[in-house]
Amino acid sequence: MTISANQWLDRIRSLPLERTVRIMNVCGGHERSISMAGLRKALPASIELIPGPGCPVCICPEEDLFEAIQLALHEDIILVAFGDMLRVPVNVKKCDARTLEQAKARGADIRPLASPTEAVKIARENPETPVIFFAAGFETTTAPVAAMLVEGAPDNLFVLLSGRLTWPAVAMLLESGDAGFDALVAPGHVATVMGPEEWQFAVDKHNIPAAIAGFTPQSLLAAMYSVIRQIIDGRCFLDNCYPELVREGGNPAARRQLQQAFHVRAANWRGIGIIPGSGYVLRTAFMQHDARKHFPDYVEDARKRAGEMPPGCDCAKVVLGKIYPNECRLYGKACVPRNPVGPCMVSDEGACRIWWANGMRQPSPGKEAQANG
Amino acid sequence: MCLGIPMQIRGIEGYVARCEAKGIERDVNLFMMQEEELAVDDFVVVHVGYAIQKITPQEAQTAWELYDQMLAAG
Repeated sequence: MTISANQWLDRIRSLPLERTVRIMNVCGGHERSISMAGLRKALPASIELIPGPGCPVCICPEEDLFEAIQLALHEDIILVAFGDMLRVPVNVKKCDARTLEQAKARGADIRPLASPTEAVKIARENPETPVIFFAAGFETTTAPVAAMLVEGAPDNLFVLLSGRLTWPAVAMLLESGDAGFDALVAPGHVATVMGPEEWQFAVDKHNIPAAIAGFTPQSLLAAMYSVIRQIIDGRCFLDNCYPELVREGGNPAARRQLQQAFHVRAANWRGIGIIPGSGYVLRTAFMQHDARKHFPDYVEDARKRAGEMPPGCDCAKVVLGKIYPNECRLYGKACVPRNPVGPCMVSDEGACRIWWANGMRQPSPGKEAQANG
Repeated sequence: MCLGIPMQIRGIEGYVARCEAKGIERDVNLFMMQEEELAVDDFVVVHVGYAIQKITPQEAQTAWELYDQMLAAG
């Protein structure tokens, strides 16, 4: 029997909750479903839903974006990237190209794509031209990039990799001593690929109730019900509320390919800084496809520093769930989807963009005054 | 960026499947599905052009019904 969203809401409302519970999600898809379905308004006021680090576009290091823009402008190449990346701004002088879109307007050959298979196709159609695939994403998106390489990419296809693992950012928050949340809704498609076990640390090491959710209101509410019950019962475990896709061990072939193509090391997150064990890097066996090895002149170590969001932009705090999107001073004023200042207003996965698209137009005086639909 | 959608396999050639959802057909890469037995009419969840998991027809239908509701509401 399928339990409807309204039935889940009734079950949650009937729980004897005596204090505020802050539930963090770490997936732009989850945040979109929560906002679209108006779950914040539907749930009791004592349940706070916090969007956390769930947007790979938002945390893609500024130096990687800068590198992609410079490569596209100065080399005789084709640069391909997931469409979201094209409008993310870097911090440069007004006269310089701030985004890949602006670089394209200046004549660079930059093409948006929806799949790594398109990068292969473009490389095959242009055998004399280096094609650089600027690949930012979390595990769900980085695994297909690994599959593309392991299956066999054309010699003229290079990867500028900005792949990140999701869980280390949550681990970093929990280890900071100021996590700002009491329970975790873990990302369904990341767990589909990597397996639910990745999230066990939240329960075992930090005593945080956790549940993996799919992308429908039903699945999200089931996960919320689970973690609230866990708090009330005083018994934490990792629940799988997306069993139709999330299986023990994840997708073994995808995990094997990820391991074959990449190794994991500490990596920079825009506005956040270095997070241990959170970044994918091409292995030596795939060095011939590593854009950073092939075009080393564009790797600018000097740009690698934490806190490099645009001036006045609070995207870093938004990504970490420290503030809600509409608590940023720029939200809805200087920063709107048509003219975004920070990456969270650019990407469809960004919390600011999602809140704006779902009608949240009012600034918030503080995190306590939660009002988004 | 991490959202996958259910599609039905209409044909398979090597690691490429012709898949369909809502009347739209796409080529889907099956390289990440090497541990699964896949056949025409099976359902897979597709993310950035790659199948990431096999699902039952009932699960695919349920997912689409819910996605349809969400899209209608959005």
